[in-house]
Amino acid sequence: MSSLTLSGLQKEYGDITAVDGISASINDGELLCILGPSGCGKSTTLRMIGGLVSPTEGNVQMDGNDITDEPPHQRETSIVFQDWALFPYKTVLENVTFGLKMKGVGKAERIDRAKELLETVYMDGYEESMPADLSGGEKQRIALARSLAADPNVLLLDEPLSNLDKRLREQMQIELKEIHDTFEKTFIYVTHDQNEAFTLADRIAIMNDGEIVQIGSPQEVYNNPNNRFVEEFLGDTNILHGTVNRATDASLLVSLGTGGTIEIDDDTETEVTEGDDVEVSLRPEILDVQTISDGQKQVQADGSSNCVSGTVNSVLHRGSSVRYNIEVGDGELFVERQIGNESDLHEGDPIELSWSGSDVLAFHEGERIGGKR
Amino acid sequence: MSTSRIRDSLRTDLQQRDFDKRSLLFVPIALLVFGGFVFPFLILIRISLAGQPSGAPYEEGSLTLESFVHVVTSDLIQYIIGFSILYAVTTTLLALVVATFYAYAAWRTSGVTKYVLLFSSILPLLTTLAVKTYAWAPLLAPNGNVNDLLLLFSVIGEPVQFAPGLVGAVVGQVYNMVPFGILAIYSVLISIEESKIEAARDLGASRIRSFYEVVLPEIIPGIAVASIIFVTWSVGAYAAPQLLGGGAERSYAVQIESYMLAELQWAFAGALSVLMLLTGAIGVLIALWVLNQSEGGVRIAGQ
Repeated sequence: MSSLTLSGLQKEYGDITAVDGISASINDGELLCILGPSGCGKSTTLRMIGGLVSPTEGNVQMDGNDITDEPPHQRETSIVFQDWALFPYKTVLENVTFGLKMKGVGKAERIDRAKELLETVYMDGYEESMPADLSGGEKQRIALARSLAADPNVLLLDEPLSNLDKRLREQMQIELKEIHDTFEKTFIYVTHDQNEAFTLADRIAIMNDGEIVQIGSPQEVYNNPNNRFVEEFLGDTNILHGTVNRATDASLLVSLGTGGTIEIDDDTETEVTEGDDVEVSLRPEILDVQTISDGQKQVQADGSSNCVSGTVNSVLHRGSSVRYNIEVGDGELFVERQIGNESDLHEGDPIELSWSGSDVLAFHEGERIGGKR
Repeated sequence: MSTSRIRDSLRTDLQQRDFDKRSLLFVPIALLVFGGFVFPFLILIRISLAGQPSGAPYEEGSLTLESFVHVVTSDLIQYIIGFSILYAVTTTLLALVVATFYAYAAWRTSGVTKYVLLFSSILPLLTTLAVKTYAWAPLLAPNGNVNDLLLLFSVIGEPVQFAPGLVGAVVGQVYNMVPFGILAIYSVLISIEESKIEAARDLGASRIRSFYEVVLPEIIPGIAVASIIFVTWSVGAYAAPQLLGGGAERSYAVQIESYMLAELQWAFAGALSVLMLLTGAIGVLIALWVLNQSEGGVRIAGQ
């Protein structure tokens, strides 16, 4: 178990900056997920921690010691690769004992240790199998056992589940979480899958364009995103464009392009003034839908309607949930309901969408300016 | 009609009516192998089993093992067999080491270096064997460039005659063979995923160790192909021992030529040729057996 500190890590490939100055502290025994879209530099960051890529600038410290220039075979880290990278001409047992063999551990001891780990990943009995005879999930388990057998202080996982089907992936996520709890090692887990990050992580670091945009607990980053990128990346949401009508210390009143106004609680230091363009995010799960029966519109007393009216455009059944696309003004919003809790809506129904002002977030030029959940 | 039905009906057609026609496809290659190798080889064996009179290439119509007895009991031929085997082992091992590391270096580098390395390995193949072999003679001569360099850096005190001599014969043969080995091994290297080497490094293997543990088992098929080329070629080597060797560097092929053209003793030449082919065949079998003992070897044994 070890803590890690990354200071100003940067990696350039020619003119391309893959990682642009990353600083973060990873606590002892923590499971940190680095979450970001393809090409955001998350794998490069992981490889710099593992020593497979040398940073152009910055340094990596483990328990306070600078390990930036240590070659990979001397680092107390181990990587679980996306394609698992098992050694094809070695048996499962030889694969798992490899790290210990390189450390000079005696044969009897390393076989004992390997068998123990194979049990942990439910692969006992496969000692003499060749990697080519294993399924994707089995290879994944062997790769994990191989890395754990080397007994690293920090385990680095590079999208290890992305080549598995959904069911197996979800099962492996739970097993990984258990293994993390059992081994009490520091895990750094790279993924592009928000659900995976939310399932596994103690903390999530969200990366975009080579930088960490936000780092915090899953609830923190979901409920309190720094900017529009995080808000949109962590889940489907409706982004509405509007203009600031009135800005006070406590709230913002925004007129929406789709018609209607919206009042947003705001205890952050607001830097927008009247007339500024803002974007407002409405998560599909916070929207209330009501069928308009008599053509009447409810308008709240304070002048902020916090609702818009529209028409159901389409109803999509997506397995465990139903998505309603609703036309409002010149735009489209969507609402999602779990099966069993769905609304009885049909294409063409006139409806009214409403929400609570405290569930809405506002952004100005991509940066968060107000609202909270 | 579905593809599988077309295929099935085609197969039935071929089985019922066109079986003989289909066999005709083998005729050209069979003719080539028979006319170009099997038939001459049978003639060779026949001649090797003929008597060796003085004044004629061989005694027609005779059937005897005399030539083999003569060849095997001759001190000169025993020396030549011994030399050829040692020469083949040495040049094969040297060429394997050079080709493996050259191919590995070419695979690991990128950009211009990669192309320079690959191109310069193919370049010698564009020159005639005799010319490029003979080109080593002035380079390795006592007053040649190699000696100049070694003297300049004080590696040696006085000029050494590398060629004509053993060093020249070995260098020339290795130089001739290496490009084929590079191509054979490089073609296998490019199928290795780099993450496997990274995994080995990550798990505590040094650069050399990761090569030995991960890369070597994967390139065994390429090394096997290179070994077959090297062993057969070096057992039958002619150009390098002839052009760069001294009096002592006398290989099978050099002696066979002497029997054939200078001494006109074809029965002896035939017997020595059969021995040379046997040596090559045994050499290939030994090389494959050794490679089969290694981790990646299971694939050349055919599972």
